[in-house]
Formats: sequence, C-alpha cells, structure tokens
Amino acid sequence: MNVPADALEITCYHTWKGEDGIVRTKVKPGSEVGVIEARENSAAVNGLSVNGEKFPLLIDARGIKSISREARNQFSVRGRETNTTSFAIIIDSPLSRVIGNFFMGINKPAVPTRLFENEEEAITWLLSLKVNKK
Amino acid sequence: MKPGKTEKEIYSDKRANDILEVILSYARLEFDKKTELTGTEDVFDAISAGVNMLGEELENSTISLKEKEQLLQEVHHRVKNNLQIISSLLNLQSESVQDAKFLGLIRESKNRITSMALIHEMLYATKDLSHINFKEYVEKLYRSIYHTFETSDYKIDFEFIMEKEQHFEMDTMIPLGLIFNEIITNSFKYAFPGHQGEIKVQVDKKGEDLSIRIWDNGVGIPADFDHQSSKSLGIQLIHLLAEQIEAGLSVDCTHGTSYELHFCRSKVLA
Repeated sequence: MNVPADALEITCYHTWKGEDGIVRTKVKPGSEVGVIEARENSAAVNGLSVNGEKFPLLIDARGIKSISREARNQFSVRGRETNTTSFAIIIDSPLSRVIGNFFMGINKPAVPTRLFENEEEAITWLLSLKVNKK
Repeated sequence: MKPGKTEKEIYSDKRANDILEVILSYARLEFDKKTELTGTEDVFDAISAGVNMLGEELENSTISLKEKEQLLQEVHHRVKNNLQIISSLLNLQSESVQDAKFLGLIRESKNRITSMALIHEMLYATKDLSHINFKEYVEKLYRSIYHTFETSDYKIDFEFIMEKEQHFEMDTMIPLGLIFNEIITNSFKYAFPGHQGEIKVQVDKKGEDLSIRIWDNGVGIPADFDHQSSKSLGIQLIHLLAEQIEAGLSVDCTHGTSYELHFCRSKVLA
C-alpha cells in the first residue's frame, strides 16, 4: 500500500482517504501500539469524515510489532461513536496473523471485519459492502 | 550450550525457553512479564505476541473475578448485618414485654435469623464463597442457641462425630441450618427437665449416600405425638425444609429423640 504525500502522519500510522471513498491506515513498521496511539489513530480516521459521512476502513497491519489490550479495545469501536462502517485488515506474517485473529476473536469489533492477505481482495470486499448498503 | 548445535537451534531453544518462562509466570498469576519480540516477524514473534495478548486477557479476567468475589463478600456481609439488625429490632420489641410465651416466640425467631446470618458470616469470612464447613457451622449454631437460653444451670454436652470434613453449598446449608436450629432448640426446650444431658451429631457417608443424625438423650417425645399433623411451627419447618433439600427424614423416640436425614450425595452435596 503506497502512502500518498498528503497522508496524515501520526505516531504509529499513516492515514488518508482514497478516491474510492475508503479510508486507509497503514501501520509503521515495528510499531508497538498502545492505547494513546490507538486513540490518536481513531481521531485521525474520524477526522476524515465530512458532514458526518461514514466510510469503510482498510487497515494495513503488516509490520506491526505489538498492540496492547486497551488499544485493541479502542479499535473494536465498541461503545463509542465511529464513522467507520467496516474493517478490512491486511496481514502477511505469522505475527500480524496472530494479532489480526486475536482482534477478531477476542475483541470482537462492532462493525463487519475480515482479514485479508491481498490488498485488492480487501478493497473489493469493502466496496461490495458499500454497494450493498446503497 | 550443547556441542554441535546450530545457530538456528540455539536461537530456537532460547526463544522457546523465554516463552515458556512467561507462560509459567502467567500460570502463577504474575503478569508483569512479557515475551520479547525481536522484530524478525518469524513464528517465535507470532507465538510471543499471542502469549502476551493471552496474558493481558487472563490478567483482566483475573481482576474481574477478584472484583466479583469482593462484591459477593460484601453482599454476604451486608446480608448478615441486615439479619443482625432484624434480630436487634426483635430484641428491642421484646424489652418492654413480660409475657413468657411472647418472649419465647421472639427468641425462636431470633434463633432462626441467627442460623441464617451465621452462614453469611462464614461465607464472607472465608476465601470460599460458596461452601460452608458443616462441622464448624453446627458448632457455632449450637453455641449461639446455648447462649439464648438461660443456661447458667444447664449442663449439656455436645459432641460432633464425623470422619471426613463435609461441606455444603449455601442453597442446602440454609435449610439444613434451620432444621438444626429447630431440633437443637427443641432439645433445649423440652428434652432436659433436669437441665442435664447430651446432644450428638453424627455424619456418615456410605457410598453415594450420606446420613446426618442428631439426637439427644432426653425425655423423648410422647408416644402419641404425631409429627406429620403437628401444628408446631418448628416441627413443620423440619419436615418442609427436609423436603426442600430432598432429604429423607426419620424420627426415632426410643431413647431420647433422634432425627436422621438421608441424602443422596449427588443430589445436594458439593
């Protein structure tokens, strides 16, 4: 996933909105994500909404080193306002696979979420949800 | 280091041992350790991340469980205090009364309340919030009843015979406690006109069955006394509560008075 020049750069992520209406967030390699970094990311993602518009979120988790329980809870969007409608999480290594599956199984995100090893498939899935909603 | 090990084997051994150490510390409910991630994103990093996250979840569950136990302890404490308040109110109510019959009824009600309060007291005072040590309970109950009678001239021996420790869950212990309260109270009231005698409790386990016998060597119950049709609240309670805990009940008045409760152990015992 190529990061465009105008992407927001925060502690552990690059975050931006694509022309297809999907918001993307890419973890920086070796990031150890705690709750502060997770909140920072949530604020950045929600900040991309114009007039309360909701959007799918593509998360590139490749290269992540660790993520705390509180951070996973923050990303699960349980019990808090969010502009996201669905999550597609891109994983590759055994490490990102473990983290992704843990997030899905234990933290149970409140919006439809799937893990992908392929970026195109992830985008197709997110767009299909968007179409179905229309 | 064993000779002949490859660098990869040495690395694998070290990572595996590091992870094992952390798992062992989690088993001891020590959650300050975490496995180190090297950033190589290999399978050891994946396992380490999984172990670390499981540790966080386990720690959280352990804390929740402790909080719930503390809450339950607090509930037992409050229930016991409330029962004590009711008992004190009965005391106040009886202060201005001289009528012996009325005072006797107040005492019986207070003893019934105490038999239940004792269970809540024992539950919050021990680490085990669901099981009551039967022997300890019956001895406390006996002492409590003993003190409610004007016992300065009483010489009543109490003996508890039991081979192995027996515990009951609260749902069984409350009715059982009330049954014991009625039986012991009746012994104090009626069995010993000379204020001397003996009360014994015996617990026997035979295979899956358990029997609890409580008897006194007092004057016994008149031969024409019909337990089933008795209007005595105490006697009615004994029968009703035995039925509630699905215990068979037999009464023998050959030598003193003996009550025997039969339990199918799998049904009611912890």
